[in-house]
Amino acid sequence: MIDPGSTPMIVVALLGTVGVALPLISVARGERGSNSFYAAISLGALAAAIGYVGYQAAAGNVAPGALLSADVVSDDAFGGFFAIAMLAVAIMTTAGSINYMRRMQHHAVYYSLILLSAIGMVLVAYSTDLVMLFVAWELMSIPTYVLAGFHKRNPSSNEAAIKYFLFGALASAVIIYGISIAYGLTGSTNIAEVVRGFAALDPSMVPLALLAAGLFIAGFGFKMGLVPFHMWLPDAYEGSPPPVAALLAAGTKKAGFAAALRVVVMGAVALNLDWTLALGIIAVMTMTVGNVAAIMQRNLARMLAYSSIGHAGYILIGLAVAPFSATGSTGAMFHVLNHAVMKGAAFIAVAGIVTTLAVTHLDKLKGLGRRMPITALGLTVSLLALAGVPPLNGFWSKLVLFGSAIDAGSASAAASWAPWLAVAGVLNSALSLAYYGWIIRKMYFEGEEEKRVRSEPRSVVAVMVFSMLFMVGFGVYPDPIIQFAEFAAPAFSAGAGIVP
Amino acid sequence: MADAAFVALSVLTVGSAIAALELRSMIYGSIALMGTLGGIAGFFFLLDSPFVALFQIAVYVGSIAVLILFTVMLVRRELIFKKVEDPRRRLAGIGLMLVFMVAVGAVVLDSGIKQVSAGGPPVEFTEIGEDFLTYYWPALVLMALVLAASVTGALVLARREEPDGAAAAAEIPAAAGEGPGAGEAGAEGVEHGQRAG
Repeated sequence: MIDPGSTPMIVVALLGTVGVALPLISVARGERGSNSFYAAISLGALAAAIGYVGYQAAAGNVAPGALLSADVVSDDAFGGFFAIAMLAVAIMTTAGSINYMRRMQHHAVYYSLILLSAIGMVLVAYSTDLVMLFVAWELMSIPTYVLAGFHKRNPSSNEAAIKYFLFGALASAVIIYGISIAYGLTGSTNIAEVVRGFAALDPSMVPLALLAAGLFIAGFGFKMGLVPFHMWLPDAYEGSPPPVAALLAAGTKKAGFAAALRVVVMGAVALNLDWTLALGIIAVMTMTVGNVAAIMQRNLARMLAYSSIGHAGYILIGLAVAPFSATGSTGAMFHVLNHAVMKGAAFIAVAGIVTTLAVTHLDKLKGLGRRMPITALGLTVSLLALAGVPPLNGFWSKLVLFGSAIDAGSASAAASWAPWLAVAGVLNSALSLAYYGWIIRKMYFEGEEEKRVRSEPRSVVAVMVFSMLFMVGFGVYPDPIIQFAEFAAPAFSAGAGIVP
Repeated sequence: MADAAFVALSVLTVGSAIAALELRSMIYGSIALMGTLGGIAGFFFLLDSPFVALFQIAVYVGSIAVLILFTVMLVRRELIFKKVEDPRRRLAGIGLMLVFMVAVGAVVLDSGIKQVSAGGPPVEFTEIGEDFLTYYWPALVLMALVLAASVTGALVLARREEPDGAAAAAEIPAAAGEGPGAGEAGAEGVEHGQRAG
C-alpha cells in the first residue's frame, strides 16, 4: 500500500483540493469572482506542487528512475521528471490564459479543469499499475475534452472537441482492451507482475502478449500523435482555444510518452526485441508526415500542430533504441521536457496574438516583430529551438537523441538500422527549418508600415520571458537537465535486472 | 450448455450493438443499447462473477441506459444531430472493423488458448472491496476526481449562456477560429480596429 505522504499523493491532495474548491468558491461568491483571482489561486497551487516535487528530487528523497514497483504508484525520479515538465506546462497554460480568458465566462471551471488535467498527467507518469495508469489517463483526458470545446458558440471549437473526444474515447477503449489481455495472461494489473508474467509466458501465448503491447502503443499513440493515429490532431489543436492547444500539445501528448516508456519495458524486455524496428519505422513515418504536412499549412496553429507530430517522431527514436542504448531513454525524456517548454511557449504566443490581433493566418502575421515585439521574439526563439538551432535547448536534446540512435547501431547488431533514424531525424530538422524560417521572415522582414500595438498581453509576456530564459539558459548550459534526465531515465538494456 | 448460452449471449450483445448504431430512432437505439449492456452482464454470469454481473445490470442497464433514454426524450432530436450520410465512410468503417476483428481473431486462435475450463471457484467479492481500499486506494481517489471533473465540465458545456456573455463569447471565436466566412470577417474587423487604435 502506497504511503499517503509520498510525493505523488501530496500533489494529488494539493491540486485536487484546489481544483475541486475553485468551482465551489465561484458558486459561493455568486459567480462574480474575477478572472485573475481564480488564476492566481490556481497558479499558487501549481507553483507549490512543482516546488514540492522539485524539492523532493533535489533533496534526494526519491529513488532513481525505476519504472517498476510493487505499488500502484512509484515515488521515483522518472515520475518526478515528467511531473516537473507537466506542471511547468500547466503553469504556462494557466498564466498564458489570463488575458485570453478575460472576455470569456466560467473562469473558475476553466482553471479548475486545467488543474485536474494536470493531476492526471502527473499521475500517468507516476503510475506503475495498469488500472492506476488508466484512471490517471482518463483524469488527464476528460477535462481536456471540455476545454477543447470551451468556446461553445464557435463551430470550429465544437468540431475540435467532438473529434478529440471521439478519438480519445476510441484510444481509451483500445488501451483498456490491451489491459484486459495483459491481465488475462498474467493475472495481475501491476506492471512489474505483468513484466514477470510476460517473461515466463508459454511460447504459444506470446502472440497474445504482443497483441496487448501493440494495443498499448496504438492507444497511447493516439494521444502522442503518431502516424497513422494522428488525423484528429491538427483539427483539434487548431479549433481549441490556443492556451488549451498548448496544454494538449505540450502536456497530454507528453504524458503519452511517459506511459509508453513504462510499456516499452514490458514489451521490449519481457518479449523479444524485434518489434522495436516497428517503432523505428513509425518514428520515421511520424516525423516525415508531420514536417512535410507542416510546410503546406497557412495557419500558424495548424502548422504548430503538424510540427508537434514531427516532434513526436523524434522522441519516438529514443523509445525505439532504448533497449540497445543507455542514452535512448535519457534523450527521449530530455526532449520531452524541452519540447514541452518550446511548444508551450509557441502556442501561448499564438494565444497572445489571437487575443490582441485576432489572427492566426500566416499572411496576417506580417510585421509582427514591430507590432508585438516581445511575443514575436518569444515565438522566434521557440521556433528556432524547435528546429534545433544551437545554442538553444532543442539542439542538445536532438543531439542526445540522434547520438543514441548512432550508439545503438554500433552497440548491437540487432539494431543495425538505428543510425538511419538519426539520418532521418537530421534531414527532417533541416526541412522543419524551412517553415519555421518562413514564419520568422513574415514577422520581421515584411510589412514595414506596421506600428506597435498599445500593450501586449502581460501574462503572455511573462510566459515568453520565462520560456526564453529557459530555452537560452539551458541551451548555453544544459548540464543540470541532462544529469537529472540521466538520473531519472530508466535503464532497460537487457541486463538491467528488470526481469528477475 | 455453457456453449449454447455463450452463443446466444454473443448474438444478443453484438446484434443489439449493431442495432443501437443503425436504428434511426434514438429511442429504439438506446433500448438496443440496453440489450448490449445486458448481454455483457450475462457474460459475467457465465464467468462465475455474479457480483460484477449484478453491478453491470444495476449501473449500466439500470441507470446509465435509462439516463440516456431520459435525455433522448427530453431533448428535441433535431437539435442534437444533423444527419450526414456518407456511404463510403460507412463502408470504410465496416471494412476497418472486419480487418481488426479478423486480425485479433487470428491471433487468439493461433495462440495456446484452445479450451475454457469451467467450474472454477466463484470470485470472492469481498476481496474486490478490500483491494479497492488497500492496494488500489490512490486509483479510488483519482476516480472521485474524474467524476468531479466530468460533472463540472458537463455543467459548463450544457449550461445556457447569458445574453451579455454570449455577445462577448461570440466575438473571440470568430477571431480565433479564423474559418471561412464569418470568422474571417470578424478577424478583419478586429484587426482594422487595432490598426486604427
